[in-house]
Amino acid sequence: MMKTNKRLYRLLSISLLATSTLLTACSKSGGKAGALSGAARDSTLVIGMLGDADYLNPVIGASLTSSEITGLIYPGLLQGEFDTKTGLLNYLALEKRLRPSSGPDEKSPKGALARTWTMSPDHRSITYTLRADAKWADGQPVTSRDFKFVYRLYGNLVIASPRQQFLSELVGADKGAVDFDRAIETPDDTTLIFHFYKPVPEHLALFHTSLTPLPEHLWKNVKPQEFRESKLNQQPVGAGPYRLAAWNKQQSLTLSSSASCNLPKPGNIKRIIYRIIPDYTVRLAQLQTGDVDVVENVKPEDFAAVQKANPNVDIKTIGLRVYDYVGWQNIDGEYYNSTGKARPHPLFGDPAVRRALTFAIDRQSIIDGYLGDYGVIAKTDISPSLKWAYDDSIKPYGFDQAQAVRLLEQAGWLPGPDGIRQKSGKRFSFSLYTNAGNARRNYACVIIQQNLRQIGIDCKIEIQESNVFFQNLQERKLGAWMAGWAIGLEIDPLDVWGSDLKKSRFNFPGFINPRIDQLCELAKSKMRTEEARPYWIEYQKILHEEQPITFLYWIRETQGFSKRIQGAKLNISGTYYNIDDWTLKPSIAP
Amino acid sequence: MLRYILKRLLIAVPLIFGVLTLTFFIIRLAPGDPAAFFIQPGISPNVAEQIRQQYGLNDPLPVQYVKWLGNVLHGDFGRSFSRAQQPVIEVIAEALPVTMTIAVLTLVANFAFGIIIGVISAVKQNSFLDRFLTVTALFFYSMPEFWLALMMIILFALKWPLFPVSGLNEIGAESYGAFGFVMDRIWHLALPVTVLSINGSAGIARYVRGSMLEVIRQDYVRTARAKGLSERVVILKHALRNALLPVVTLMGSSLPFIFSGALFIEVIFAFPGMGRVTVEAIFARDYPLIIANTFVSGTMIVFGNLLADVLYAVVDPRIKL
Repeated sequence: MMKTNKRLYRLLSISLLATSTLLTACSKSGGKAGALSGAARDSTLVIGMLGDADYLNPVIGASLTSSEITGLIYPGLLQGEFDTKTGLLNYLALEKRLRPSSGPDEKSPKGALARTWTMSPDHRSITYTLRADAKWADGQPVTSRDFKFVYRLYGNLVIASPRQQFLSELVGADKGAVDFDRAIETPDDTTLIFHFYKPVPEHLALFHTSLTPLPEHLWKNVKPQEFRESKLNQQPVGAGPYRLAAWNKQQSLTLSSSASCNLPKPGNIKRIIYRIIPDYTVRLAQLQTGDVDVVENVKPEDFAAVQKANPNVDIKTIGLRVYDYVGWQNIDGEYYNSTGKARPHPLFGDPAVRRALTFAIDRQSIIDGYLGDYGVIAKTDISPSLKWAYDDSIKPYGFDQAQAVRLLEQAGWLPGPDGIRQKSGKRFSFSLYTNAGNARRNYACVIIQQNLRQIGIDCKIEIQESNVFFQNLQERKLGAWMAGWAIGLEIDPLDVWGSDLKKSRFNFPGFINPRIDQLCELAKSKMRTEEARPYWIEYQKILHEEQPITFLYWIRETQGFSKRIQGAKLNISGTYYNIDDWTLKPSIAP
Repeated sequence: MLRYILKRLLIAVPLIFGVLTLTFFIIRLAPGDPAAFFIQPGISPNVAEQIRQQYGLNDPLPVQYVKWLGNVLHGDFGRSFSRAQQPVIEVIAEALPVTMTIAVLTLVANFAFGIIIGVISAVKQNSFLDRFLTVTALFFYSMPEFWLALMMIILFALKWPLFPVSGLNEIGAESYGAFGFVMDRIWHLALPVTVLSINGSAGIARYVRGSMLEVIRQDYVRTARAKGLSERVVILKHALRNALLPVVTLMGSSLPFIFSGALFIEVIFAFPGMGRVTVEAIFARDYPLIIANTFVSGTMIVFGNLLADVLYAVVDPRIKL
């Protein structure tokens, strides 16, 4: 017996020894405090990303990571600028700007390829003059032909660019297909002219004609059918401040500062590494250990722990761009699906009932419990960050259950024998759907359920897989749901609120109010953005009054930044708004 | 035996094929749309339709099936929808080595530790050591892997920063030279492999303990002891060999795991392995990639079972195939 044990123990101790050798071997290399030496670390920025890039090609790139990266690799015709003071987008060429810059987020126009532009008096064409000294990373000059070439790609239906909407005012678009020969002219290498079929406001013309170019000389032999498969999508040649240095799919992507760049200059930081880390907890852990310098969307509940573990982490916020809401089906979805006609939803069809529901929901509690200082009660879908359009005078509905009960009883919803309100035999009972995997929405749903229960409304919570949820929403199968929107920087809500339900694909609640359509059209017809303010004020009043959905709260997105990053400006147009101007504070020499 | 193997392989062909066909129809009938990503404000409503056209999703289902069948018979599993039109074979070829490295290391650790612990607790049945090992094994066996992984990260990467939190290699590991690179890789694999093998070896230990206890009570073990053989020889030579019979078959059934990957571990430690590929493909409704993954794991399950049966016959002469 003794002998066996000895033998077994020896075996165990050998394996233990082996493990511990491995451990020491490992901790030794771990002792280097990250693998990069101090100097290399000081010139390398590491960004933690949730997902990998797909195509490094501005025509077809669709993932968030792709657009961040193509923005650094490729040049732009104009330099975009977001004015946080007014919430207006500005466009800059070397020698011209759409409007004077006023905010703290001013940008240098040197990144723009265009020297200047002129809008024709009838607003039907815009002429750019390009700088002559811009070069692709392979040394070839950037010319106006590259733009004409790339617009054909954006408009090619086989390529199916997600940005083809940008071409919708060009000559021929009204007849079904853009007539590129007439719509875009390139009389010489530095002149680029776009023609529209209708008068277009200047800001919209600038927005829609400044799509990112590709080098014609490299792409011209790629057939449209093979466009998405081309190897060039993985080996981009651009002209921007950075170049692609290495790409380990699903692991990391490395950019290096492009020394030859004059648009506007080589990036300040020598190397930028995007690390793909799918799990949120782990991204956060990497931020704590200092392996990663930027992690987006850090949840407010984690701030304290992160900053305690690593005082070198800063939490930066951008403006209000994202909001959550509870959607109420305004029309009877089933009836609409079978007949194509709209009639009010039996529960939520009455605006008074929807107002009552908003009164009944304690939005401030949800904010206090989950978002803290990083949530703001939402009144409509015009963000407070878009100051030029935002209506400050509207007072949000407070949490007032007595008022909610009054409204419900006026509308005929009286308490039933089981404590649930009913009206002509119909109980006020429904399911509130939301998508799986969103802790914030789950939290809000539970509070909403309690709030409604208190005024005699029965609400069950159902959680669905995101794809299924989205499909059910589109098919109007859900009576009530919780979801969210991220707004665009240009206000264009027709897709979301237009009363032609076939055209307005995102009008999930089936809200119909022709005045909203009129206001959107009127606002679009103004040649200057700011002049549309009165229309947007009226628009907000209507949404507030009708409560097609219960707007819950705006979320101040919060990004974790290492304090060694300096000069970062963040706003709702992006976390990496001026990343090519960032610098890294050198670590203290040992 | 050769005939038996051949027969099983022949049966496997229609079986795998049936699984693929079933998968083909199930994923297409399931709700969700591969082009759903392109349905958002600011993107022309036509884009989703054009994308579906490109993917060939506008054809009637039977036509899609026939086209797909033709391609698969030519060995072409198509191109991934969600991974930038990369051929799915390439996607798998990139992910498989990662998964296999983790899985092989894990399996070795599983069996080594599992057998050692199992034998100790069987030989010292009902002793304190046995109780301790049994309880500990059960404790770890019932622990969810993702939770254990997060705890390990908190302990060994945050509190005592001995190991890296995620990734296959440190940034810039290419510059370490071959030896440094491999050491760096091992350093990165230590935590995930530990998590996976703590859980796995706990299961195997329970298995070995049970079968060892059964064997130790057999007459031939008593005979061996009566012959005056040393306890070491009795346990390791006579008993263990027989006790390992059912364990050997476990190896066969572990084969699919080697190729299909450990999802949670891959997501948490940010390894681009098969588990992540599969789940991301499912969420993105990336039909070609889902089918190719089903093919890989389906084939491995069939071969794993076959291997288990054959191994059984090899180690136990009483079984004839």
